[in-house]
Amino acid sequence: MSFTIRAELRERFGKNDNRRLRRSGKIPAVVYGGGGPAIPVALDPKAILRILHSESGHNAIFTLEVQDKAPARVMLRDWQWEPVREELLHVDLVRIALDTKLKVRVPIHFTGEPQGVKVQGGIFEIVLREVEIECLPEDIPDHVTVDVAGLMLGKSLRVSELPVSSRVKVLSEAERVVAHVIAPRVEEEKATTEVTEAAPAEPELIRKRKPEEEGAEAEGEGEKENKRDTKKEGGKES
Amino acid sequence: MLMPSKVKFRKQQRGRMRGMAWRGSTLAFGDFGLKAIKPGWITDRQIEACRIAITRSIKRGGKPPFIRIFPDKPVTKKPAETRMGKGKGAPEFWVAVVKPGRILFELEGVTEAEARQAFALASHKLPLPTKFVARATAGSGV
Repeated sequence: MSFTIRAELRERFGKNDNRRLRRSGKIPAVVYGGGGPAIPVALDPKAILRILHSESGHNAIFTLEVQDKAPARVMLRDWQWEPVREELLHVDLVRIALDTKLKVRVPIHFTGEPQGVKVQGGIFEIVLREVEIECLPEDIPDHVTVDVAGLMLGKSLRVSELPVSSRVKVLSEAERVVAHVIAPRVEEEKATTEVTEAAPAEPELIRKRKPEEEGAEAEGEGEKENKRDTKKEGGKES
Repeated sequence: MLMPSKVKFRKQQRGRMRGMAWRGSTLAFGDFGLKAIKPGWITDRQIEACRIAITRSIKRGGKPPFIRIFPDKPVTKKPAETRMGKGKGAPEFWVAVVKPGRILFELEGVTEAEARQAFALASHKLPLPTKFVARATAGSGV
């Protein structure tokens, strides 16, 4: 699916102007790379969300139309979220040359229920959710789909076993575990409570006090208290 | 109960909780998470209560929850019926300083309904409002 996004040139910069821009329903963005200059632009966050939620996700290549400039093929390089409201705050777009190889991270999709879970009662754990690959922009897969139905308890799936096209070079370490089926851990609540009871009330200090210091402090405190007591007494008498 | 094994100083000042949790605000390990939407201190006991509630709720279903916060701040308290002064009180318990947007717990290997149920139970044990987040939704870091 091809997307086209229209953007406006941004002429005012800084925290205040960007906040005003966000309030008006747009977000600040920057376009760079491909031998061209960095251009600050403003665009509609909904269009970027549509790309992020599309089948290709953040690896989608789309056309960016900026006023008075030639349309450019770009892709998302970086994007920032507001942590609470989960709104887009800013995006980085990079110009793509269709004849140059790119390094991208592609999500891994798992199909089937592992035998180790179905029959042996294990837990299927995903260790790696994305794999780094190198290929031409037109060869970027939406995702790498792997069938895990044959995975038994204690067995793992590694990067080298991922089914990828011959036009794609996998950059992630071949021996890296993608997913495995592990035995379920039974938590003994009694044991944990015992441990917590036996645990020390205070952690160890990294910088231990010298015995002289401790002694001096104790003396100091004693003296202080004595002084206060005498003061009080003095005050009462007077 | 969670607490640091070693500390540099026994007591700390209370500090302030300004701003948002820009770090630790996206899902890192699981498919579902519980996100704080207001700031607050979460004590070691509350974290433990949540962990137990989540573990019991998911039963054999999945892995134990990923706990994304750690109580590394000591809170001191003066004994009852003590006059003011005479120095700062003794360390009583440990808290995790939580800012809005922070992911508190994550779950993997369970259905969304199970995760929602488990996190609803856990959120009742917390002193701040939370919301449920899933990996597929916006802002989950995918």
